[in-house]
Amino acid sequence: MININQVINEMDLEGNPSNHRVVVAMSGGVDSSVTAALLVEAGYNVVGLTMQLYDYGKALKKKGACCAGSDINDARLVSSRLGIPHYVLNYESVFQDQVINDFVDSYLRGETPIPCVRCNQTVKFTDMFSRAKKLGASALATGHYIRRKNQSGNLSLHTGKDLSKDQSYFLFATTKKQLNFVRFPLGFLTKEETRSIAKRHELNVADKPDSQDICFVPEGKYADVVRKLRPNSVDRGDIVDVNGNVIGKHNGIIDFTIGQRKGIGVGGRKGVDDSNSILYVIALDTKKNNVIVGPKEFLSCNKIKISECNWIIDLPQKSKFKVLVKLRNSSEPVIGTIKANFDFSFVFLYFDEPQYGVSTGQAAVFYNIKKRSHVLGGGWITEAPNKLADNNIINA
Amino acid sequence: MKNQIYLDHNATVPLLKEVKKSLIDCMDFGPLNASSIHYYGRKGKDIIEVARANISQLINANKNNIIFTSSATEAINLLFSNFETIIVSSIEHLAVLYSSKSDHIIPVNQDGIVDLNFLELYLKKIFKNNKKILVSVMWVNNETGVIQPIKDIVNIAKKFQCLTHCDAAQALGKININLDEIELDFLTLSGHKIGAPTGVGALVYNNKTNITPQILGGGQEKGMRAGTENILGIRGFGEAARLMGMRKETNCSQVKFLRDFIQKKIKKISPETIIFGEKTKRVANTLLMALPKIPGDLALMKLDLESFSVSSGSACSSGKISQSHVVSAMGYDELASNSVRISFPPNDFILNSENLITTQELDKLAQSWSNL
Repeated sequence: MININQVINEMDLEGNPSNHRVVVAMSGGVDSSVTAALLVEAGYNVVGLTMQLYDYGKALKKKGACCAGSDINDARLVSSRLGIPHYVLNYESVFQDQVINDFVDSYLRGETPIPCVRCNQTVKFTDMFSRAKKLGASALATGHYIRRKNQSGNLSLHTGKDLSKDQSYFLFATTKKQLNFVRFPLGFLTKEETRSIAKRHELNVADKPDSQDICFVPEGKYADVVRKLRPNSVDRGDIVDVNGNVIGKHNGIIDFTIGQRKGIGVGGRKGVDDSNSILYVIALDTKKNNVIVGPKEFLSCNKIKISECNWIIDLPQKSKFKVLVKLRNSSEPVIGTIKANFDFSFVFLYFDEPQYGVSTGQAAVFYNIKKRSHVLGGGWITEAPNKLADNNIINA
Repeated sequence: MKNQIYLDHNATVPLLKEVKKSLIDCMDFGPLNASSIHYYGRKGKDIIEVARANISQLINANKNNIIFTSSATEAINLLFSNFETIIVSSIEHLAVLYSSKSDHIIPVNQDGIVDLNFLELYLKKIFKNNKKILVSVMWVNNETGVIQPIKDIVNIAKKFQCLTHCDAAQALGKININLDEIELDFLTLSGHKIGAPTGVGALVYNNKTNITPQILGGGQEKGMRAGTENILGIRGFGEAARLMGMRKETNCSQVKFLRDFIQKKIKKISPETIIFGEKTKRVANTLLMALPKIPGDLALMKLDLESFSVSSGSACSSGKISQSHVVSAMGYDELASNSVRISFPPNDFILNSENLITTQELDKLAQSWSNL
């Protein structure tokens, strides 16, 4: 059983909870539902907001089915159970412009985008923020597993207590200013604790499975989304080896990501039975519309460029320093050395050990080398040259 | 329960207490399936026929020409399924716009009134190539409350041998509907707009046309709408119609006083407010307005949190608020996401049977509006 005072501490709002209106961003999942439940329990004046991001009817190809996604309905049921007002915000056009189109363009550039970060950056943490403020809220709370700390006015962002659910990778773009207003009351809980709180409150979402896919991509088939939205941008092309020899055909480079091993459509070299026989996607040549495959060694990458950096700390005195860096949400952080430009808006990062399968379009998130839980900031990987770059097949 | 001030009567009217009593009597009576031959069946049939008679009296229609449906939307869908060419106005309710699937759209002017010249020219152009044309224009617009020139529309349609339908869901209980005076071929109604429960509507039709049903089965409602009748809903609709019909004229002077009071107040303390259809004939209970810089959904949320239940644009079933096609059609594209509707009880009788709305509350509402 959790101590409700801990929730009040995490909320970091002065005075009696009942004097504060708190807006909860409710997705209809168990995490944001429990966030709302805990804040109601703690005595805050809670208002639930859910964003309608795309037309669910259209996404499911049901004509005339006016929206009404089941997640929105879940959010509504939870709000009703908790006795709080709940509203739906129509962000369809913003989401289409700023998230879906960006996602599609990124794929067509041969990158591997993470739309969830863009969504946090553009829709959730800008539009939702301003709406919460206009509704007179003292704070906006979300159900992310991440912690915000206030050490005598100095705000910082930290990984959630439940590292297996930590969402700091997706929230690196949170600005210091936003940290003034946003709260993450689940940061000190584990997923199991969250579920048991949901059960205690008899929320209908207590056993709802975690969402796995990108919300607007049915069944994880992202290439289908790209084909549907830009039917003329996806062409058949060649699969070539690292020496430029054509060894197969593909139906569109959007079906491939850097580092991919399975489902390439060309087998390993016959009769050779060593690790070099396994083929990986090494690069996507958008100019020639080629997929370049080769053995794993060609994926090795020593240095990346990270742009549009956001720092959640005071900028360091030195422009060269060591950090832990996460290159994917699911992977462990690795050690690297940052060399920043004058205003730290972009950096080069030199890995201590070469990394394999780094893709542009992904985020690189920095953590304190001495304290792994402390999120320093992050940015977007815009250059990730691997060994293939030396062979000069691309851009020839 | 917080003390919410309900100002969304165009969405639905609270169940009238007399209607509630009639429903309880009906529930207490026993098993009522109007198709049964026996005593209870006959009782059920009686209840339905009384309701039909009450509604027919209220609008001066032939009681044999009314069938009950689950909603005005269903009545409209049933009617439209019998026509290939349907001409609609640009400000119709979505029940008409979507179920007609029509490309024949008659525009409205900036006051929200159907362009009669356009209608006439349009019919002139297409009537020769189309055998069976239905012209469908609503009597009262649900968002603006603007009253359409139904008589003129019917006269124009008749010139070209077109049939006419009027969605009168928002007119019933607000203005007098007299089918003796206006030769409409079809009229559709909704029970819950006059204090009956939700879930019952009606299609009123003339003698001349045969309607092919959409719902097939036991042949209820003269074979036009199968399915065991919603006897409670029908009873409630009939009772509400009886109550509305007890007064010769629909009296709305108190309602109009309240609407004009808040309108004046808002214009005074928030002069940048735009009021739609202000200069034309509107029903007495409706006020549609917008602030140029405030999205309607924000206004609605803030007013709701301050205990005022009002509405915005056309909210869909998910609660998402879309742009108002009515405001767009009137030429105010830039305000289509900003409109907010206040709707008082439809008439003085309903106003007085509910908790009265006070001018102090309206002062507070005007204040909240100006603070948006």
